[in-house]
Amino acid sequence: MKKLMRNLLLMTTLSLSTFAAYALDVTKLPDVKDGIVSIQTQDPVKDVGYVVGDVVTRHITLTIKKPYVLIEESLPIVGYEKTYRGQPIGVYLSALSHTKKDEGDQVVHQLTLDYQIFTSSVVAKRAAVLAEYVRLLNTESKDREVVKYRVPMWEFVISPLSVFGQIKIEDDMSQFRGPLLMDTSNQEKRLKTSLVLLVLSLLGLLYIVGKNAWLPRMGGPFAKAYRTIKKQTNTPQGNMSESLRVAVSSMHAALNTSAGHSLFADNLDEFLAKKPAFTAIKSEIQQFFGLSNQVFFEANAKHNVGAEPVAWLKQFCRRCRDCERGLLPDTLSTKNKA
Amino acid sequence: MSDRQLADWRQHALTLETEVNKVVVGQASPIRLITTAIFARGHVLLEGDVGVGKTTLLRAFTRGIGGGYQRIEGTIDLMPNDLVYHTYLGEDGKPHVSAGPLLMSGENLSVFFFNEINRARPQVHSLLLRVMAERTLSAFNKEHVFPHMIVFADRNQVEREETFEIPSAARDRFMMEIPIVVPNDDTIMSSLMFDTRFHNADALIDTVKPDVLKFDDLNGFSSVIQKSVTASPTLEKYALNLWKATRQPTEYGVKVTNVDMSRLVLAGASPRGMSMMLRAARVNAWLNERTAITPEDIHAVFHATVAHRIVFSPVYEMRRTEIAREMLSNIVNAVAAP
Repeated sequence: MKKLMRNLLLMTTLSLSTFAAYALDVTKLPDVKDGIVSIQTQDPVKDVGYVVGDVVTRHITLTIKKPYVLIEESLPIVGYEKTYRGQPIGVYLSALSHTKKDEGDQVVHQLTLDYQIFTSSVVAKRAAVLAEYVRLLNTESKDREVVKYRVPMWEFVISPLSVFGQIKIEDDMSQFRGPLLMDTSNQEKRLKTSLVLLVLSLLGLLYIVGKNAWLPRMGGPFAKAYRTIKKQTNTPQGNMSESLRVAVSSMHAALNTSAGHSLFADNLDEFLAKKPAFTAIKSEIQQFFGLSNQVFFEANAKHNVGAEPVAWLKQFCRRCRDCERGLLPDTLSTKNKA
Repeated sequence: MSDRQLADWRQHALTLETEVNKVVVGQASPIRLITTAIFARGHVLLEGDVGVGKTTLLRAFTRGIGGGYQRIEGTIDLMPNDLVYHTYLGEDGKPHVSAGPLLMSGENLSVFFFNEINRARPQVHSLLLRVMAERTLSAFNKEHVFPHMIVFADRNQVEREETFEIPSAARDRFMMEIPIVVPNDDTIMSSLMFDTRFHNADALIDTVKPDVLKFDDLNGFSSVIQKSVTASPTLEKYALNLWKATRQPTEYGVKVTNVDMSRLVLAGASPRGMSMMLRAARVNAWLNERTAITPEDIHAVFHATVAHRIVFSPVYEMRRTEIAREMLSNIVNAVAAP
């Protein structure tokens, strides 16, 4: 008897629990009234190209106004596989995180749902993270009112892992495959080499444009003439050696370049008016023209540059170079030599 | 001829210059050029406004060098025979023929001044050209020779009505074209206005020391100058480049303001012109106590001996003076020596 009673009690309990289970079938609960719950969902931007093993993460923010509260037991269960029309769809909830924040008259629930895909297909097929239903309890209701709220579904497309049959990979323009990368190491080497050459060429061009000078005023006409005259050997006065002719010619060329026109003794004043920096060495320039006359035009002409005209020219050219660079030349030493 | 004789003649030449400079003030440069032309035995074309002292200048020179001085005015009805003879009815009522200006001084003709040559007809130009080139004239079945004659002609560039432009072949016979301009020195200008000694040209010329030179020795001495003053190879190359630049200025980078250089020059300086330039340069060197020509000697006579020989496109002829001046200056600036 005692055993019979125990069995009856057990059966009654089981029967009631079945009813209770029916009573808790979420789909049959009434929907929550408008304005109680607001939702924000953040679904993946990519909605195509998923393959088996991929994880789809949804971020859902539920804001529930009091007196309704979320029955947290109604949240999706990790490991649960969704079904559609009785058929499993191959999408599992692999992780769930839930935080909530009480804001006085409402509670904000942050849900992060990770669904992992365990299905595949030889062709692209549509799939979805199905809608989730959560239950809400009206805490002020005398009959402990429970309502449901539907979290909307999110659709995506599952892609096959590989294409069946023979295909030419170059013609497969699938954007999901990504570009086929070529070996660019050779091109990179060439590019680097070309860049080095380009830099060297630009430096060379800079040198040429700068009239064979790296720095401003470095390659001025007198600086160049000085380099030429420095190479010439000393020649005693009256000996019209080639080195003296070269030295005087270089000096003439430098003076012409500096003046911007052919400079002679008869347009020296015009030159000095244009370039007053050379006024300090006017007498030396006149001496130079005297020397030039002797070298090139009148062998018995007299000049007063001294017995070593190349040495004098070297000094004179240095002074011209100083004038060219805006420095004050030491004219006395040249005059003394003369 | 020894160096001492050269020096003596130079002293005479400088004395002549000084004498002329006393009566014609502010014209040192034209006076030096005329002195040069006298010793180079070249004819001179004077260019200048009315009343600037051209006639006084020539008369002063004539007095200084001695010999006969004749003058004729160019007019539109002047005929060639007016230069050779003129006819008149004598007191006896019979026609008489007397020598014209060219024949009047015979072989002693030293200076023949043709005033306003561009008012005379081309027929007159032709006769004068022969006399200038050959220093001979056939008249009255006789060959008249004028070995010491230098022709000075004057043309007024301002007035162009009833004038005949001197053709390039005629211009080329003149060794120099010398501009005579009003001095722009206030002291000199004031002196020309207020100094009473300038009011009477005849009395003024009488103050010039007569026969400073011997006109009939000039030809011989001119040859001596030409032989004794040398030209170095460098100078020859420089002169050659100057000549080429007058023919192809664009090849030497010569530019003239607001002028299409590719169309400007129809013909550069002639061989005769360059020869005359070198003759004049030698004289200039001698006057400056040099035994060889320098570039400065060429510069001293370059404008005067070359400017009037260059043939410009007709479109630029009206601006001949300014264009020629700028072009030749730029040639001197563009061509280097050495």
